[in-house]
Amino acid sequence: MKSKILIFSLATVCLTACNDGFLNTVPKTTVAEEAAYSTPAKILAQVNNLYGQLQNATFYGGRYIIFNEQRGDEFGQNDGNAATGSAVWNQNVASTNEFINNVWGAAYSAINASNVLMERLNGTTVVSVADAKLYVAEAKFVRALSYLALVQTYAKPYNVDKNALGVPLRLKAITTEGNNDLARSSVADVYAQIIKDLNEAEVDLPASYTTPLLNTARAKKSTAIALKTRVYLQQNEFQKVVEEAAKLVSKTAPFQYTTGSLTHRLETNIAAIFGGSYTGSEAIFSIPFANTTTETPPSQSSLAFTYVSQPILFLATGGIVSDPALTNVADARTGLIGTNSAGQKVLRKFNITTAPFRDYVPVIRYAEVMLNYAEAAAQTNDLSMAAALLKAVRNRSNPNHIFAETELTSKTTLLNLIFNERRIELLGEGFRLHDLQRRGLTLPAKTGSIGTAPLVLPTASNYIWPIPSGEISANKLMVPNP
Amino acid sequence: MLLWVGCALAQDTTLKGIVTDAQSGNPLVSATVQLKNGKDFVLTNEKGEFTWPKAPKLPFTLLVSSVGFETKEVVVNSLAFNAIVLKESVTSLSEVVVSSGYTIQNRNEFSGAVSSVAAKQLQNRPAVSFDQLLNGQAAGIDLIQPTNILNATPVLRIRGINTITSGLFPLVVVDGVTVFVGAIGGGIGNNPLADINPNDIETIDVLKDASAAAIYGSRAANGVMVITTKKGRKGKPKVSYDNWVSRSTPYNMPKMLGAEEYTMIKNEAMVNSGRAPGYALMKNGDGSTVDTDWYDVAFRPGISHNHNISVSGANDATSYFFSTGYTHQNSFIKNNTFERLAARLNFSHELNKSITFGANITYSNGTNIGPNTGAVPSNSMSSSAYNSQYITNEPLARMTYVLPPNVPVYRSDGSYSIQNGISVGYGANNPSTIGTINAYNLAMVQTLDLSSSENNTLIGNVYGEWKILKNLKFRTSYGLNNLQVTNKAFLNPTHGGGAASNGAATNNFTKFYRSDWVNTLLYSTSINEKHNITVLLGHEAIKTTTDGWGAQQTNVTDPSYSNFQGGFSNIAPSGNILMENALLSYFSNITYDYKKKYLLSLNFRRDGLSALATGNKYGNFGGGSVGWNIFEEDFYKNSGLARVINNLKIRGSYGVVGNSEIGDYPAIGTYNSNTYGGMPTLAFSQAANPNLRWETSKKLDIGLNFSMFNDRLTFEFDYYNNEVDGLILKAPQALSAGIPGNVINANVGSLYNRGIELGISAIVTNYRDFRWNTGFNLSTLKNEVTSLVSDVYVPSVFGVQNMTRVGYSIGSIFAVPTVGVNPDNGLMVFVNSEGREVQYNHIGSPRWTYKDGTAAPAIDNLKDGVIQGPSLPRLFGGLNNSFSYKNFDLNLIFNFVAGNKLYNGTRATNSDQRYFNNGTFILSRWQKPGDVTEIQKLQYGDNVSAGFSFAATSKVENGSYLKLRNISLGYNIPVQKSNLLRGRVASARVYAQAANVFTITKYRGSDPEVSINGNSIHSGKDQNVPPNAQVLSVGLNVGF
Repeated sequence: MKSKILIFSLATVCLTACNDGFLNTVPKTTVAEEAAYSTPAKILAQVNNLYGQLQNATFYGGRYIIFNEQRGDEFGQNDGNAATGSAVWNQNVASTNEFINNVWGAAYSAINASNVLMERLNGTTVVSVADAKLYVAEAKFVRALSYLALVQTYAKPYNVDKNALGVPLRLKAITTEGNNDLARSSVADVYAQIIKDLNEAEVDLPASYTTPLLNTARAKKSTAIALKTRVYLQQNEFQKVVEEAAKLVSKTAPFQYTTGSLTHRLETNIAAIFGGSYTGSEAIFSIPFANTTTETPPSQSSLAFTYVSQPILFLATGGIVSDPALTNVADARTGLIGTNSAGQKVLRKFNITTAPFRDYVPVIRYAEVMLNYAEAAAQTNDLSMAAALLKAVRNRSNPNHIFAETELTSKTTLLNLIFNERRIELLGEGFRLHDLQRRGLTLPAKTGSIGTAPLVLPTASNYIWPIPSGEISANKLMVPNP
Repeated sequence: MLLWVGCALAQDTTLKGIVTDAQSGNPLVSATVQLKNGKDFVLTNEKGEFTWPKAPKLPFTLLVSSVGFETKEVVVNSLAFNAIVLKESVTSLSEVVVSSGYTIQNRNEFSGAVSSVAAKQLQNRPAVSFDQLLNGQAAGIDLIQPTNILNATPVLRIRGINTITSGLFPLVVVDGVTVFVGAIGGGIGNNPLADINPNDIETIDVLKDASAAAIYGSRAANGVMVITTKKGRKGKPKVSYDNWVSRSTPYNMPKMLGAEEYTMIKNEAMVNSGRAPGYALMKNGDGSTVDTDWYDVAFRPGISHNHNISVSGANDATSYFFSTGYTHQNSFIKNNTFERLAARLNFSHELNKSITFGANITYSNGTNIGPNTGAVPSNSMSSSAYNSQYITNEPLARMTYVLPPNVPVYRSDGSYSIQNGISVGYGANNPSTIGTINAYNLAMVQTLDLSSSENNTLIGNVYGEWKILKNLKFRTSYGLNNLQVTNKAFLNPTHGGGAASNGAATNNFTKFYRSDWVNTLLYSTSINEKHNITVLLGHEAIKTTTDGWGAQQTNVTDPSYSNFQGGFSNIAPSGNILMENALLSYFSNITYDYKKKYLLSLNFRRDGLSALATGNKYGNFGGGSVGWNIFEEDFYKNSGLARVINNLKIRGSYGVVGNSEIGDYPAIGTYNSNTYGGMPTLAFSQAANPNLRWETSKKLDIGLNFSMFNDRLTFEFDYYNNEVDGLILKAPQALSAGIPGNVINANVGSLYNRGIELGISAIVTNYRDFRWNTGFNLSTLKNEVTSLVSDVYVPSVFGVQNMTRVGYSIGSIFAVPTVGVNPDNGLMVFVNSEGREVQYNHIGSPRWTYKDGTAAPAIDNLKDGVIQGPSLPRLFGGLNNSFSYKNFDLNLIFNFVAGNKLYNGTRATNSDQRYFNNGTFILSRWQKPGDVTEIQKLQYGDNVSAGFSFAATSKVENGSYLKLRNISLGYNIPVQKSNLLRGRVASARVYAQAANVFTITKYRGSDPEVSINGNSIHSGKDQNVPPNAQVLSVGLNVGF
């Protein structure tokens, strides 16, 4: 009997001993944190991921652009379903709205990814110092673009009140718990950080990459500069806009920027921006959907689905669609306007109307830089430069259009023409809201088929979005918007 | 009840007799008649008669037993003796055994808290899975069958909710194998517990307290259900056939407007909003008005049938039980069909005096096919689900509520009436003014867009037992659960959810595989017949892998394709998963009793879990209990009380268990791969917490059992207090921290569940042929979250209805206070966090105003919301009554729930002033100053006033109810009196029954038994759920 017990005991001991590796399971579909920066290829993948964060369907991948248009006055809402953003269009969103939470979360996710990468590249030996410098510059660009979206969406416009509460400035990598509480910096501080990042990025970013896709999809010097023209315009820093824009726009026509093999200029035909390779000369920075199986947005986040397929948004007759430029077939931009079966005008810039929705989303294009420049030039009384830039944008689409000379020689009328041209040229690309807000203007009332959205005064609480509930619940230093 | 009638006395030593069921008078076939102290036995024949040719010397004692009846000792003093009436077979304290899964104990010697459910309580009731039938069956079990779409996973809780973000299903162990639980059907129902044929179940022991459950250590936080399947009994092979046929119909659907009322209401809303009317009635070809009842499109009576055959038996060495079952069920939802073929073989063989081996194996193939109903949350195995499906455009139930009644289903040419890819045909309504009707033609998508979920499941174990010494037994058991799920979904290219991608076909295959190897050493001894000791030592190794892959094809190349394998131009990966989890345990259980009077039980378990970081992998769990069988004391036996109270036990237990359902890799930091511009990316996907450690759940239970009047009345009472500490929580991080998913797994919370449970069973009367048995159980629950870092809730464009907050019950119903409609202007008035009344005008500018008309800040669901009450019932229970008279039996099962709040989101949907159809209650809307009503002035497009866009108290309702769940009437055919049946059939019973007969409630929705989020902390929400079914069935049980 004793021997039987002995055998049993031995068997038990063996069972235990043989189980040493039993509990050490390792995930096979993810890379462990310790290994995530161990090779140059992995680090490059981390850099690509920063842009992947911008590509998030809720952010620059589509939805953020759509939200900005829903808050503006160019579009009417067809679909009353909350999931299509009807409350956003109705200017009636609460802090618990998932969209409010999602955009904020996506932006900060990109910011933290940038912060983590910068920290991990500090002193790395896996990639060369030169490469590390390039990558850090890209991270700063991504961080700047993300903060711009945050401060424009959740804080008062700089020109309305730059001392108002901005957003929390997260500049350190966060990978563990215990980092919830951080107070909001002022709007001015957030802008200062954006400019600082972009200035530093400009220094270290490459002038260009090896392929048109990379030139469109990753940040280079011209990308940082172009974004600065947008940021300074938000701040009414017109002289700075002129300084930056002049780096990218030649003094005389044809307006262009050339460095090495890279040239930025207006496409001959505006339609080329929104189709074909999507990586032509006008694309300074776009969100590419090159891999249609993993990258493309879901329908309700897709510009083409929103503007054309369903459409969730149609062009409101009270908006810019009624401008002669968009009704006169002589202007090529009328080719981007269509009519749907319900007789509504719809925006056809994004034309792949069946999933996968792989139209690239233009984030910064040369025409915007020219119009930023034009506006700043006019504001700084360089009316001839402003008029030349305006005409270049207009005449690209309608070569025969002639502006009345009297309108071009008055600062006020010239500025109005430039404001109008921005609406025509950049329609549906997410600009209108911020163009209203940086000038402190009321968000006009608008009519959709689901009803009428009332106007929003700059003093009203819904002029900007509320701080999301997920931030208020967890960040004890967070002060909600009034 | 057994009536044992010695009837014949032949020559010399032959003993003859008959064994009958006293209740029905029917003979009992294959009853075992055995010598008490010997191995010899005989069986009764099909007439219930037995013959014992060479009876031993008188007097001797026989043990007479039969499945489902109480074993009886009969002292035989003469070969000719009279009829003996045996004691009632009820759930008495002394006879029932309790299985912990590792050991079996007599209930009398057991000092833990266990609820047992016997086969009888489940059999013959139409259902897909056994868990659907547990409602009201035992104290402490709270079950919600939230919808009657086929094979939906019910909400099952044992003593409340013990976690916030970890798994909250109880552990389910079938014949020693831990089986998978959850919802795995994608868009349609798939409950893995449906792979177990309800007819194969002998008993379900629900282990509730630490003493009983601690042997499961880290897996016991949510309670444990130990299922024992049927085994063969000694005697002649027993063959039985059971069937039922049922008809199910939707029960108590919300009353919706017809075409005329709809058109009037919608036009009124448009005019109130300063717009021209856009709705109009449409005429059919024959001049009649189009008035579509979308319920008729979606529903029709569903006919189901179920068949089951089992064969079982045993001899000295070998026992076997074999069964096969087939069920084919049609829901009342058109095109929703469930089919399952299952087979089971249980056998054991005694090789010699020291070695026994055996196996319990079941294989099942089940397939559920149906349209997307929106009623089931997306796939979740043991996690707190949040359903985001119900509100999307695809789900059928939502469509029945929102589709306009004044549009036709078909065009005059018989084709589906559709406007475009996403809109049902507008009929005579004006598309350019009323906006998009983003509702599909239900008939078309319900016909063309079907999903299926198929399980191929093997659950089984093989085991061997080696009696090393007289008192020492070694047992090894290797179990596995191989669950292979194939989910398919198709969306047609023309209309509906597939239009945007020109058709989509998604196929997913997932293999859930678990192996479970247990080795135990059991020593039991009795010293001087006073000290009874058992010692169990065990080792268990469990490995679970999840391996799934799939793809979605889109852009069909030819409209004729409707399968994944057809021609498509795009394909994308979908549903890929590969995970592994290991649990390594050592455990021990020691029980001791002194003369059955003083009971002591100690459990210990040390669990190592792969999911935790090195250094924190192991956790120690354990518990103990003491019991005192007072009735065994001489002083008690001699007291007068003993004559009234014949069984009296007090017991107490305390222990510590854990929760291992925390995901497979919660502690480590990970990076995910994807692409950007076609280039590889690596994204931070989970923040590490190497300090993550076991959470502990401290369970206290104090209990009392007694029975009165010779066991005619039995009571069981428990007080329990379960405190969970160091709760593993997906702790919400500030969104601005940019942490992936905005959560880090951390030990940050604590909560408790406490309450009392009462179980009473009684033989009310047993007068001649009339018998009335009653079983009653009642449980109370107080759940409170005692610490958390921050609120836990899900932000949504549809508001926040459930809030988990310190000081309140988990997942409490949360809403902004509404004070009703302002009689002066018809606007809905809310109360904000400052206590000021704010009214909403959908077309106003500003929309939100104080009552004096000045602008007010918009109502914010989080800031202005107030907790309204628990979503968990404070009190629940059941009442079962069974009556029998001669050959007839009647059973009624009631259950009740009280003290919980529900969010009636369906009523919010049905109040919506977009194109949505409305409930008939909308007719009492505000129309002119002075009107006092709860329905605001209708404004076109208004989805805010009525609690649709954020939670408002106008939709918070009392969830209490009393439901007659089941009533059945059976008739035992006296086969002995039938020339046709006698000798061919041993027993036969026919019955008819109705399920979900009526509900008494103040709840204004379809059914207060509801949870759109399934088994989740976000409970008590009703929105767009398909109605529950009322099921009528008839069935037959035959024994051969």
